[in-house]
Amino acid sequence: MKTPDCERYIEDPEANASHLETCEECRALFGAEAAVRAPRIDVNALPLASWEGAQHRSWPLVTAAALAIFAIAAALFAASGVSPADALAANVPTLSRLQALVGLMRQAPAMVVGVLFVVVNTLLIALLRRSPKGLSRGLDV
Amino acid sequence: MSKVTRFIVPATTLTALLALMLTLAPSFAGVADAKTPAPQASAEQPVFAQLSQFTTIQGAAAAMTKTAVKVSLLFVWIIAAVVVTLFAGREVRYSSVEVRASALYCFALGLVAFTSFVITAIVFSYLVPYVVGVPLLSALAVFAILTKVYGMISIFHAVGSLVAGSRTRAQLDRRRWFRGDLAMVIAGVVVLGAIRLIPVAGTIVWSLASVFGIGTALATRFGRRDPAFLAWRPAQA
Repeated sequence: MKTPDCERYIEDPEANASHLETCEECRALFGAEAAVRAPRIDVNALPLASWEGAQHRSWPLVTAAALAIFAIAAALFAASGVSPADALAANVPTLSRLQALVGLMRQAPAMVVGVLFVVVNTLLIALLRRSPKGLSRGLDV
Repeated sequence: MSKVTRFIVPATTLTALLALMLTLAPSFAGVADAKTPAPQASAEQPVFAQLSQFTTIQGAAAAMTKTAVKVSLLFVWIIAAVVVTLFAGREVRYSSVEVRASALYCFALGLVAFTSFVITAIVFSYLVPYVVGVPLLSALAVFAILTKVYGMISIFHAVGSLVAGSRTRAQLDRRRWFRGDLAMVIAGVVVLGAIRLIPVAGTIVWSLASVFGIGTALATRFGRRDPAFLAWRPAQA
C-alpha cells in the first residue's frame, strides 16, 4: 500500500481495476470486495422512462395547434355559411331532448333494469378491486 | 395475471356488451307498452345514409357544418387538455401508462362503467318524481362527465406517446420542443381529432377511445393510485 498505483486504485477502484492483477497486497485487501462490486450501469442502454423530459412545456406547439384548429373551424363555418352559435346550439342536447331520453330509458322493464343494476355494479366493484399494473410492469412514471 | 382476473375480464366484457345491447335496444319500448308506438330507431343514420349524404349539395353543406362543429369541439378539447395536463400532468401520465400496460382491463372496466352509468341513470330516473332523484342524477352526470374528460385526456397522452413519443434517450435529447406531457397530449388530440372527422370509422374510434378513457380513469382512480376499497383486517393483539 505504498506505491502511487495503490493510492490511485484506492481513489478510483473502477478506473484502475487492472491494478489488482499486479499488486498482491491490494488483491488480498480488496479482492473479495472488487469481486462482488456491482458492474457499472450504462444509463443510455436502459429503456426510456416515461417521466424523462415529461416536465418540458412546449408552448409553441400548443399555440400552433390551437391556432390551426381554431382557423380550420372558422374557415369551415365561413364556408358553410352557418353561424357558429347556431350550429353549436343545434348540437348541444337541450332539456327537452334529455327529458325525452329519460322517458325512453324508463320504458325498459323494471325487473330487467333492477337485475342489470345489481349485476353490472357488482362486476364494476369486482373490477375496481384490482390494483393498477402500470408500475409493476416496469413502466415507471 | 391471476386466474380470477383472467376469467373475470373476458366474462365481464361479454356481459357488459350484452347488457349494453339489451339496455339500448329500441325494441324494449314495444315490449314495455304495446299501445305506445315504438320510438324511432335512433337519431343515428344507417351507415349507407351517412356515406351517401355527400352526393348532394345540401348533404355536403350539412356535412361541412357538422365537421366545423367537430373541429370547434376539438378546440375546446385542446383547451381542457392543456389545463388538466398543467395541473395534473403526473396523474395523466400515470393513467396513460396504465392504459398501455393493461389495455384489455381498461377496456373491460370502461365498458362495465359505461353500462353502469346508463343503468344507474335509469334507476335514478325512477326517483325523479321524488326529491332525491334530480340531485342523484345530477351527481351521476357530473361524475360521468369528469371521468370522460379526464379519461379522454389520458388517452390523448397515450396516443401521442405511441405515435410521437421518444423511443431512445438520444432521440429525446435531440428534440427541442416536441417533448413532454403537453406535447404528447396535443399530438394525441390532433391524431384522434383527425380520425374523428372520418364519417363512420371516426365515430367508432372516438367511442372506443371514450370507453378506454373511462376505464383508465377509474382503474387508476384518476391517476392518484389510491385503493378503491380499504381492506378489512382484524386487529391483532
